[in-house]
Amino acid sequence: MSASDLLQTMYDSPLGTSLAESLYVYPLVEGTHLLSLALSFGLIVLTDLRLTGFIFKTLPVHILLHQLRPWLIGGFTITFATGILLTFAAGPGLVEAPIFPLKLLFIFLAGLNALWFELKFGRNAGEWGAEAVLPAGAQVAGWISLVSWSLVVILGRLIPYLDSGF
Amino acid sequence: MSTETIFQAIQNSSVAVSLGQAPLIFGILAQLFHIAGLVLVLTSILLVNLRLLGVGLIHFTAPQLANYTKPFVLTGLVFLVLSGVFMLAPSAALYEPNPAFWFKMKLFVVALVIQYSLYRKVATAENPRRWLAIFTAIISLLLWFGVGLAGRAIGFIAA
Repeated sequence: MSASDLLQTMYDSPLGTSLAESLYVYPLVEGTHLLSLALSFGLIVLTDLRLTGFIFKTLPVHILLHQLRPWLIGGFTITFATGILLTFAAGPGLVEAPIFPLKLLFIFLAGLNALWFELKFGRNAGEWGAEAVLPAGAQVAGWISLVSWSLVVILGRLIPYLDSGF
Repeated sequence: MSTETIFQAIQNSSVAVSLGQAPLIFGILAQLFHIAGLVLVLTSILLVNLRLLGVGLIHFTAPQLANYTKPFVLTGLVFLVLSGVFMLAPSAALYEPNPAFWFKMKLFVVALVIQYSLYRKVATAENPRRWLAIFTAIISLLLWFGVGLAGRAIGFIAA
């Protein structure tokens, strides 16, 4: 089954059809997808800027990670859930240009980076998180996250411009 | 002079006409700066308001967070207004009859007034009353997220 077939099947499902045809639900889902960026994207950028040494230099990393974690997870849950709903309502036109697949690729990259950071640094952040100069690996993870998530947001905004069928 | 005439005049002005003739990339950049501004403002006030509610980044006090995020809020507002004017001016006459646009502008003005009166006073106070801190946080969050939602509604009502 191709990506285009899958999107067609999602679009033809009761969920996809009712979303695409709804007068209020679709705009609300789209608005929530956008505004939840304040939690998901905004808070991950904040964390990345701490890791790369731009802000909150006196704030130990493990405290930042611990205190923001529920809000970050909550934010990403909302952004992802609404994103999946929007994909159901999009139809096969979504993959006619490479923008959306590219967005998914960067989400995957950012996800891998987060997983690697969590396993290698996140668990023992209490040991290194208060140092003036953070480990190079943690800084690199911050940069990768910053660039990938920024590209995800930019590519997301480009979808209606560059993909046909919208 | 009616608002309709004013908005038509804005659209017909030479600045608005030349903005409208700018290549598509500038329109896309304006949209991206609008999103960047939105994230700068919303994430900043979210951080401070969560602190007023007693959750989030409690390592810092609310005045510390308010002070720290002040330049981000200002930068975000500048991004929002400049990119907003860029998007509005070339098609001002299309926005004028849109109820979502006026609702957004009214909410925006109220949000700004609250931001630089009640919010500034409460967020920078060392020990604000608990109920006042909670009240301010809820009002501020509702107003700013409301501005965003009303802004998103503009496109759907026009379509």
